[in-house]
Amino acid sequence: MRFLVLIIKNIRRNLVRSALTSLGTIVLVFVVTLVWAILSFLDAAMAEKSQDFKGIVTERWRLPSQMPFAYAASLCAGAASQPGDVRPDDSMTWQFYGGTVDPDKRTRENSLFAIATDPSKLRTMMDELDSLPPDDAARLDEAIAKMQQNRQGIILGKDRLASLNKRVGERIKLYGINYRDIDLELEIVGSFPESRYDNTAVIHRDYLLASLDAYERQTGKPHPLADKTLNLVWLRVPDTETFGKVANQILTSPSYSSPAVKFETAASGIATFLEAYRDLIWGMRWLLAPAILITLSLVISNAISISVRERQTELAVLKVLGFRPWQILTLVLGEALLIGVGSGLCSALATFVTINYVLGGIKFPIAFFGAFYIPAEAILWGVSVGLVTAWIGSIVPAWSAQKVKVSEVFAKVA
Amino acid sequence: MADSVTDRRWIVRVQGVHRYFKRGSERVDVLKDLTLNVPEGEFFGLMGPSGSGKTTLLNLIAGLDKPSEGQVWVGDDQISAMSEGQLARWRTRHIGFIFQFYHLMPVLTAFENVELPLLLLPLSARQRREQVMTALDLVGLSDRVRHRPGQLSGGQQQRVGIARAIVTDPTLIVADEPTGDLDSRSADEIMNLLEELLRSLHKTILLVTHDPRAALRAHRVLHLEKGKLVEQPEMLGAE
Amino acid sequence: MVISPALLIPLAAVLGLAVLLVRLGRIPFGYNVRNLVVRWKTTLVTALAFTLVIALLTVMMAFVNGMYGLTDNSGNPANVIVLSEGATDEVFSNLQFTDAGELENHPDVVRWDGRPMCSREAYLVVNQPIPDAPPGRPKRRFLQLRGIDDPEISARIHGLSLYDGGQWFSTAGVRQLPGDSADAGAAPAIEVVLGEGIARELSRDRRAEAMPAARHGQRLDVGEVFALGNRKWLVAGVMKSAGSTFDSEVWAKRSIIGPMFGKETYTSLVLQAGDGAAAARLKDFLNLEYKKAAVQSLLEEEYFASLSQTNRQFLVAVIFVAVVMAIGGVFGVMNTMFAAISQRTKDIGVLRLLGFARWQILVSFLIESLVIGLAGGLLGCALGSLCDGWTANSIVSSPQGGTGKFVVLVMDVDANTVLLGVLLSAGMAVLGGLLPAVSSVRLRPLEALR
Repeated sequence: MRFLVLIIKNIRRNLVRSALTSLGTIVLVFVVTLVWAILSFLDAAMAEKSQDFKGIVTERWRLPSQMPFAYAASLCAGAASQPGDVRPDDSMTWQFYGGTVDPDKRTRENSLFAIATDPSKLRTMMDELDSLPPDDAARLDEAIAKMQQNRQGIILGKDRLASLNKRVGERIKLYGINYRDIDLELEIVGSFPESRYDNTAVIHRDYLLASLDAYERQTGKPHPLADKTLNLVWLRVPDTETFGKVANQILTSPSYSSPAVKFETAASGIATFLEAYRDLIWGMRWLLAPAILITLSLVISNAISISVRERQTELAVLKVLGFRPWQILTLVLGEALLIGVGSGLCSALATFVTINYVLGGIKFPIAFFGAFYIPAEAILWGVSVGLVTAWIGSIVPAWSAQKVKVSEVFAKVA
Repeated sequence: MADSVTDRRWIVRVQGVHRYFKRGSERVDVLKDLTLNVPEGEFFGLMGPSGSGKTTLLNLIAGLDKPSEGQVWVGDDQISAMSEGQLARWRTRHIGFIFQFYHLMPVLTAFENVELPLLLLPLSARQRREQVMTALDLVGLSDRVRHRPGQLSGGQQQRVGIARAIVTDPTLIVADEPTGDLDSRSADEIMNLLEELLRSLHKTILLVTHDPRAALRAHRVLHLEKGKLVEQPEMLGAE
Repeated sequence: MVISPALLIPLAAVLGLAVLLVRLGRIPFGYNVRNLVVRWKTTLVTALAFTLVIALLTVMMAFVNGMYGLTDNSGNPANVIVLSEGATDEVFSNLQFTDAGELENHPDVVRWDGRPMCSREAYLVVNQPIPDAPPGRPKRRFLQLRGIDDPEISARIHGLSLYDGGQWFSTAGVRQLPGDSADAGAAPAIEVVLGEGIARELSRDRRAEAMPAARHGQRLDVGEVFALGNRKWLVAGVMKSAGSTFDSEVWAKRSIIGPMFGKETYTSLVLQAGDGAAAARLKDFLNLEYKKAAVQSLLEEEYFASLSQTNRQFLVAVIFVAVVMAIGGVFGVMNTMFAAISQRTKDIGVLRLLGFARWQILVSFLIESLVIGLAGGLLGCALGSLCDGWTANSIVSSPQGGTGKFVVLVMDVDANTVLLGVLLSAGMAVLGGLLPAVSSVRLRPLEALR
């Protein structure tokens, strides 16, 4: 405790220097926290799970996956047809409908890609929406209920609402982009809570399917995308064994030949998609983050070295008074660690609050991820980074401090 | 301006100078109605206890501060009326400083330290070199031009300090405890040097000191106590 | 290479001003340099922080330059791309065969060897299982296929040629492999031409035992075979495609791979006009007058420019990271300069006494800070420049959405990147040194000495 008091007093001796070191640490911990948050999110998305995970059925060869809707029912059952076949715990179909409110002048702001699906599956099959706080859950449930009653309903994320300049309760007409001549008249029945779905739109699949039928009735021929409307099917399975069985059922089923389909874990599908970003992710992990950590160590090392150099006489006096070398080392290290850990903690906390609650996530353009959030363990990262970089940065000056020779210092002073 | 009686030129004229500082609402008088004249070529000593106002008076004469009231003249210049910028330029040409702790730049050689004030004057490199070597010759260190202060003894460092003080041929040399950090032998050498400069260059020297032995070398010594000069010398010219 | 005046002028101004100030400041430059040398450990540590920040900036900018280089260089001003109306990307476009016949005979479309310069293309993205994928790596990859009717014409239009030893795929588009027998029912191999980037990528699937026989260690080459969709694919040639979006594409006969993967139409036509003006005319005709099919056309340059939207997002991210790291570096150099000044208060006092003005002393310390910054920054530029010419995977996508194109870009450390690095390090140094330098001149001279 006495040491701690001495450490704190030494930190306070040059407040400017301590403040600058602290600020440098805070800023650099902030960046490394952002980088690691993105990396850890991507790693988690690509990590294969062994229990209660989702798989995704898509066209086997081509991208974008475009399957006939006739596949939907049997795929949702995991292609179970024989006694003994297993079925997934839950399922969800996705069809992508792209539309714009202004067909003459289409822009990113006045367009959207909506997911056409069964709204009852939103709260059971979509990440994050299955674990909302009670208020948000109740509001979303209300919107879902409205959509089930009115299949012309649409639920929009808040950023989408803002860019379309619309509010809940208003109507919009979307002119088809990929579904040419399929225009949808929709009522905004709700919005997603602030989440990764800020830019997402969801419509009722029955409305899209009915519109395709109406097109055929009116024109006398099916829409070019009529038998390509099912883009993917999500299946939830309890474990890897069930996954394997369902995958085999789908692969061996004769029902899916034109086009052929494949069933892979969501993690695997995401990993394939993220291959395009492989080098970028490598750079973030092995160039950017280490460079930040080294810079941080240098900043701390610089400050502590200067401090030790200025206090040669004092350190010699401490030795004269009976302090042993390891105690002097501890004093110097302690200063660095206190600044490092304190600043790291403050930075991580501030980053957590600012990014998650003020900015609504990091909007970084990797794949289809809307936004990245700072996980709670980032607070521990901040502390660890501060601790480790302070230790690395101060060990050399601390070592030289404990080696101060009393005789040499006093000769200079005399 | 010369003394009508003796035809000597006054180098320093301090007339009715007050200097006070405000500490919050309180006014602290450091110098009170001080009048002082120093003629050309005089070796003038100033002594006094701590807090007597020696440093304040030195600041006023050296152009580092301005009086609250009164006038200060050095040579023909009323320095109490100059702006800070004017004073800085004036100091380069008219004041040479000698310090107790020498205050040489540790990374510069003896030559470069002495050359420093000349860099502010419109001289060519050759002219500067000549003046620096002359100054170093005068102090007996022309064989140490490339040495850094860390390679010189205390006495030698003070000689470099003196060379720097005289290199611009200043009107007044101000020496603040020049022997305070030296042993008695080196101190004697320095005081001998100062006397030699007085004689050969006809310089006017203002010496601030606690050392009675150094003070003995001065032609005239005044004592400052609580902001007032307590001994009135015989040769003061009256206005 | 055009050096950006927005970078050159400020840098020249800063450096010119620094030189001028050193002259006017009168305090010997050697005084600053020698002080830096005397405190070499502190100088080194501070400069190293600059080195890291600037090296990182250089590498990140090289990546972004590579992306811009890709999108900027992939367009021919005389080329017009035709997609089906409403298609946000090639992959969603469907053009009928009859459309092509109509359009390629437009008078503005030039001819070569009697054939209209019209590249008929079907762009597909296909999911390829990766054989023997190592643990922790994905088991699939997305392959970008481009079905071509006439590879010679297409190559001319896109300005592509093959490495020596290669050839375009034959009219049939398939070839029986030496070891396979048609009589035994073995399907012939599909002939393909690879972009260099994808040739490199596919070579990672090679088994160790195949390496000695490989013609080229770093990429798949002529005569080698890979598997996709239950067929064998034979490399007939490798394109010199580095720096273009075609670098990660596999070209094959459209009539083979289109039906194979369920694409019975073209996705795009690329028409070559005589020059930019003719191309613009052609584009306007197709968009405004041509009513026989629902098409949309844009100049190839416009198309690739639209793909650079991703570039801008990356650029913003790079700037953000660089600025934040620079702020960290500024605090570091501020510490160093505060320490330097506190150790030299006596020097400052003497200089003031001798008559040096406040601004001269301020400038002297700023220059010292600038020397540290520039030394570290230049080293950082040199270190970062080592990545020049490296290749990296990325993805570019258009604002309207779509899957995006997987691309292999060539990292490019150009003069502007180096200038930016030097300018940033100068900025950091001046910002970091300013406050300490200002504090230095607030000292009263005699106080500084006592």
